[in-house]
Amino acid sequence: MLFYTVRRLLLLIPVFLVVSIVIFLIIHLVPGDPIDNLVRVGSTPEQKAEITARYGLDRPLVEQYLIWLSQLAQGDLGTAIVMRRPVADLIAQNLPYSLTLGGLALLFSTVLGIAAGVIAAMNKEGRIDRTVMTGVLFGSTMPSFWLGLILILVFAVQLRWFPVSGARSWESLVLPVLTIGLGGMALVARVTRIAMLETAGKDFVLLLHAKGLPARRIQLRHVLRHALLPVVTILGLRIGWVLGGAVTVEYVFARPGLGMLLIKALSQHDYPVVQACLLMLAMAVMLGTLLGDLIQAAMDPRVRSALT
Amino acid sequence: MKHQLRKAFLTGSTALVTLAASSLWAFAQEATFVMPTNEVGAATYNPVKSPMINAASPLIFDGLVVQDVDQSFHPHLAESWEEAPDGMQWVFHLRKGVKFHNGEPFNADAIAQWIPSFAGTDNAYMVEAIDKVEVVDENTVKFVMKRPEPNLLFNFASAFMGIPAPKAYKEMGDKFGVTEAIGTGPYKLASFTVGQETVLERNDDYTWGSELSQNKGPAKIQKITFREIPEQSTSFLELKTGGVDLLFGVPTDFIAQVKAEPNLGVITTPAYDVAYMPINVTSEPFTDIKVREATALAVNQKQILDSIYGGIGMEAHNFLISALPEANVDPKLNISYNPERANQLLDEAGWKTGANGVREKDGKPLKVKLWAQTDTEFKRLAEAVQAQLKAIGMDAEITIYDSSAIRDEYKKNQHQLAVRSYEWNNADIIDWFFSGQRLGYPNISMWNDPKGEELNKKAMTGSKTLEERIANFKAYHEYVLSQFVFAPIYQPVTSVAYNKDRLKVTDTMLKKGIEPSQIMDLEVVQ
Repeated sequence: MLFYTVRRLLLLIPVFLVVSIVIFLIIHLVPGDPIDNLVRVGSTPEQKAEITARYGLDRPLVEQYLIWLSQLAQGDLGTAIVMRRPVADLIAQNLPYSLTLGGLALLFSTVLGIAAGVIAAMNKEGRIDRTVMTGVLFGSTMPSFWLGLILILVFAVQLRWFPVSGARSWESLVLPVLTIGLGGMALVARVTRIAMLETAGKDFVLLLHAKGLPARRIQLRHVLRHALLPVVTILGLRIGWVLGGAVTVEYVFARPGLGMLLIKALSQHDYPVVQACLLMLAMAVMLGTLLGDLIQAAMDPRVRSALT
Repeated sequence: MKHQLRKAFLTGSTALVTLAASSLWAFAQEATFVMPTNEVGAATYNPVKSPMINAASPLIFDGLVVQDVDQSFHPHLAESWEEAPDGMQWVFHLRKGVKFHNGEPFNADAIAQWIPSFAGTDNAYMVEAIDKVEVVDENTVKFVMKRPEPNLLFNFASAFMGIPAPKAYKEMGDKFGVTEAIGTGPYKLASFTVGQETVLERNDDYTWGSELSQNKGPAKIQKITFREIPEQSTSFLELKTGGVDLLFGVPTDFIAQVKAEPNLGVITTPAYDVAYMPINVTSEPFTDIKVREATALAVNQKQILDSIYGGIGMEAHNFLISALPEANVDPKLNISYNPERANQLLDEAGWKTGANGVREKDGKPLKVKLWAQTDTEFKRLAEAVQAQLKAIGMDAEITIYDSSAIRDEYKKNQHQLAVRSYEWNNADIIDWFFSGQRLGYPNISMWNDPKGEELNKKAMTGSKTLEERIANFKAYHEYVLSQFVFAPIYQPVTSVAYNKDRLKVTDTMLKKGIEPSQIMDLEVVQ
C-alpha cells in the first residue's frame, strides 16, 4: 500500500509538468496582454515598454516559462501584474471560501446522492425509482449559472428565506451549495443506482438470499458496499470538479473564491493570477483522483493485491 | 365585522413592529452600497500605487481640489492657489486644522513627503511635471515645475491623488491600503476584503467638507458597507429585496425594471463615455477624405439614440463629452447626419450606384469591414450602423472579437471601420486616440498627419495656462473633426438606483448624481 502511494505520488510529477506547460501556453497564446489594461490615457509608448520589461513580458516565451517554473519550484507564485499583490496572498485569501463551498457541496452530493441512488435501486422500476431518476435527470442537465439565478428568484426574492448574495453568514452558503451540489448529487445517484443493480445480479447476492438474510440487510450491508467502489472513484474526480464548477456559481452569488479571482484575472489577462488559479484547479483534479484511487485501494483488497 | 376588526388590529400591530424596526435602523444610520461592476476586485486602497481605484476610495482620502460634474475645480484641502504666469510655479494654501484619521496633522510637510512617493509607480505621470516641492510655511506649499502643466488641477482632483497620512504610509509599506488606509476623508476604513466588501466608518472629527456638499461634516450616515457584486442581475435582485440600498452604475437595460418598482428611484446623469466609429485612413477606400466624410455623415445619431438606447443619453457630434470646454467647437465642424451630402460626396468620389443598391467604382463594389467587440451593446450598435451605411450604398460586413483580442487585431492594421467607446473626462483623450505615436491601438484610425502632430504637440506640451490649453486642444479637436477620421455616435448616461424607503437624497443629487462629495449629504430615512 505504501509503495503504491509513493508510486502514485511520483507519477504526479510528469503530469504536473505537462499541465503547467498547457496552462502557461493557453493564457500566453490568447491575443491581448495585461499591459493594455495597465497603461492609462496619457502614458507614452516608452512607459508602456518599460512596464512590459518590468514584468519580463518582452522575453521569449520559453524563457518566461522557465522563470515561472523555477519560481514555482521554490514556492513562489509571483506577483499579480494588474492586481499588484503577491499571488500567494490572493490565493490564500480566496481558497478558504472555495474550499468551504466545495466541501459542503461535495458532502451534500455524496450523502443525498448515495441515499437517492439506494432508494431508487431498492425500488427498481417502481414509481419512486422513476420519480427520483427524473429529478436526477433534471439536476444533471441544468447549467449551474442558470440554476443559481432560479434558486435566487425562488428562495431569496419570492420566499426571502436566504440572502441573495454575499458570504457574510451561513445562510448565504445554502443556495450556492445547493446549486453546485444538485449537479453532483444527480451524478452520484445515477452511479450508485447502476452499481447497486449490477451488484445485485451477482452470484454471491443470490447465495445471501438463499441463506435467508433479510432483503434490506443484503442491500444495505453487502450490495451497497460493493457498489460504493465506482462511487468513490466518481467522487474523487468530483473534488476537482467541485472547485472548477464553483467558478460560475461564485460569480452569480458574488462570493469571493478561486472562481471569482480567475474570472477577474482572465478579463484583465493577469497572467500570474490566471496561471496560479488554473494550477490550483488542475491540482485539485489530480489530488482528487489520487485520493479516490487510494480510498478504493484501502476499501478493496482486490485492488491492493493487483498492485503488488 | 369581528373578523375585519381583527384584521385591522393585526395590520396595526405589524405596522408597529415595522415602525419599531425602522426606527432602530434609523438610529443605526447604516447603509449598504454596491460598487460599479467595473470596479470589482480592486486589490488595494493605496491611491499612489494602485492602477485601479474604486468608489469608496474618495471617501477615505481627500484631495487638494475637487472637480464638479460641470468639470470646474473647487478648493478642498487647498483653500486657494496661485499659478505663475509662465506656468512654472504653483503655490497652494492649505486648509488649517485638518487631521488624518490617525491624528497626524495635515500640513505642507505631508504634501512634500507625498509627491515624491509617486516616483516609479504607474501613476507617476500625474506628478511628472513637478520638479520639486518646497515647504514655504506650515500651511503653504510651492511646486516648482519642470514644464508648465495646465492639467495639474485635473490631476490633483483625481481619486489617485487622494492624500495618504505620510508617517503611516512610510511605516506600513505595501500593507498600506490593504490592512489599513489612512487619509483625511469623511470615512475611515474599518475593514476590507478584496472582491467582497469594504466597511467604512464615519470620521467624527471631520469638519472640512468641500463646497460641493451642503454638509461640511461629519457625514450623516455612520457606517457604509460597499459590496462588490460582479453580476448585474444579482445586484438588482439585492436592491429589490432590500439587501442593499444603492447601486452605482445600473445598466440601461435594467432602468425600466428599476422604475417599475414603487420603492426604487433612479438618478440619471451624463457619463464620461463617448461611443464612436474610428475610420482607418490607411485602408482603401477610406484613403479618400470624401469617402470618409460620406461615411461619417451616414451615421444617424438620433435614430441610434432612440432605437438602441430608448432615448436615454445624448447624441454625440464630436469626440469629447459635452461637459468639456474643448467640446465647444465651431458648430460647422460638428459631424451630424446628412444623407444627401453623403450621397453627393460618394458620387463625386466616383462611387456610382450599382446592382442591389451597393455602389461601385471601376467594377469594384463598395464593401467594407466593420468590427465590434463581443458586448451586446456594441453588437447592436454595429448592426444599426451597418443598416445606415447600407442606405448610402456601402455594404459593411460585421466581425466580432473579444475585447482583449480586438486590440491586437487593430495593431495588425487589417481593419477599416469599428464601433467602440471610451470613458474619460479630459481633452487629452484626443492625443491618446489620434496621436501618430500610437498607431494601431489606441490610434485605430491610423491617422498620422503632419499638421495634426504639430497641433498635438502644441496642445500637449505647448500650453502654459489652462486657458491656453483649452484653446490649443480646441484647435487640435477641430482639425481632427475636419479630417473625418471617425464618426461620433452617442454619449451614454450613468445611472444610480436607490431604495427610496431607506435613503433620502437631496435635490442636488437628483440633478448631479451621487458624487463622492454628495455622500456627505446622504441620509438614511428617519
